[in-house]
Amino acid sequence: MKNNAVKFNGIRTIGSALMIIILFSSCNKEEFDPLLTHEFAIQSTANGAVYKIRVGLPANYNPGVEKYSSIYVLDGEENFAFVSNQCKEISDKLAVRNVVVISIGYGKDRSIDYTPTEVSTVTGGGPQFLSFIESQLIPLIEENVSVDTARKSRVILGHSYGGLFGAFAFSTENTLFGNYLLLSPSLWFDDLISFQFEKHHRSENKDRTQLVFLGIGEEENFGRMQAPFDAFYQILHSQYSQLKLEINMEKNLGHLGSKNPNIIKGLNYYFQNRQSR
Amino acid sequence: MNSIKYLFFLISLMSCVTMLAQNESSMFSNQPSTVPKLTIEPGIGIHTNFGTDFLITNLIQWNPINHLSIASHSSFNINNITQRYFNGIKTNYNFSINQKFGIGTTIYTKRRSHTFLLMTGAKYTTFRETLDDERFDKVSSSIRALSPDYGLMYSQKKIWKKYFFTYRMYVPLYPWPTKGAGDA
Repeated sequence: MKNNAVKFNGIRTIGSALMIIILFSSCNKEEFDPLLTHEFAIQSTANGAVYKIRVGLPANYNPGVEKYSSIYVLDGEENFAFVSNQCKEISDKLAVRNVVVISIGYGKDRSIDYTPTEVSTVTGGGPQFLSFIESQLIPLIEENVSVDTARKSRVILGHSYGGLFGAFAFSTENTLFGNYLLLSPSLWFDDLISFQFEKHHRSENKDRTQLVFLGIGEEENFGRMQAPFDAFYQILHSQYSQLKLEINMEKNLGHLGSKNPNIIKGLNYYFQNRQSR
Repeated sequence: MNSIKYLFFLISLMSCVTMLAQNESSMFSNQPSTVPKLTIEPGIGIHTNFGTDFLITNLIQWNPINHLSIASHSSFNINNITQRYFNGIKTNYNFSINQKFGIGTTIYTKRRSHTFLLMTGAKYTTFRETLDDERFDKVSSSIRALSPDYGLMYSQKKIWKKYFFTYRMYVPLYPWPTKGAGDA
């Protein structure tokens, strides 16, 4: 009897230890090949903030011969490694040319940088942030990295407020990016201001060739995500004649859980449908 | 990534507490516990998560033998009950029903019990939202989703005279680990 109790305690202890080991091993931070990663910081003249930029190059980067497409990734400190690794994996799988990934870290609070209008003290820096990307970051990248400078070869990827910022760029500076991966975009922001921007700039933008991927989680039930998401999709679908458009709803997942699956689906859609060179 | 670190820390802490406490369990098990073996714990409350959810819950916990717990947790949620119109978006309805079953272990002291349960079950969510702003076309979205729900539950009971008070905490583990490239 005593032996059984000792055995039972031993099994419980081993079980608990295994649980800790499994949890520990699952918390490894994803990394991208450090030999292909370049980092620098740049101060925005538009808002004074300093942004940490990471550039992920393709494995076979050949600057003398190849010109690569570029993906600008918001919330860069969280998403750089995941997006870079996925781009490598998907481009390998599809046997197509990989892209250069440029991630933009946090300079000011993300809620300041990614929101287009000021509704509180921590919102409304979107225009300055977009100006920084347009007038400083993109020229710097295109001067120093072997990327294609055409609009059709630039992609912006953002989640949540980052998706809102992508929608803002789509409407107000549509000549900057030709491809938009907008994941769980906060289109509810400031009384649906994104819809006003879209309507206001529609006539300039609707005939441009472009690609938009809209992703969301099925269980985003905060009372503000799904209806504007569907409405935005319907507007793009009905009003933009030259648009490659895809919508994806990740089953059983919420706002955060759907982010990575939608990044994967969005990148797959981009690599399979991007404009030919 | 930060949230995963916090979750890891919390679960590790819970696991360590369980492991260490079990090593001392012989000390407690010799004492007669006044904690009941079968409890039914209905509750009404609110939950704050991007709004305020109203919950009706019930936890049934049965301890057939010392240190073994079997539990059933049910809840009915009216989600986001206080904010039915937000920035031009109307919530027509928003409900969730959860049912989970779990197994775990209980550590007793004379007037308290600490239960750690691994719970698994399903969650059914249904909601409908309408973009209802006169400047734009009216668009409605409705969702009916059945999803897995699993996680760790900690339940503490404290005996006071002929009553007991209960505290419980649930750490959801779904969706985790998150989907990878192979699932695309």
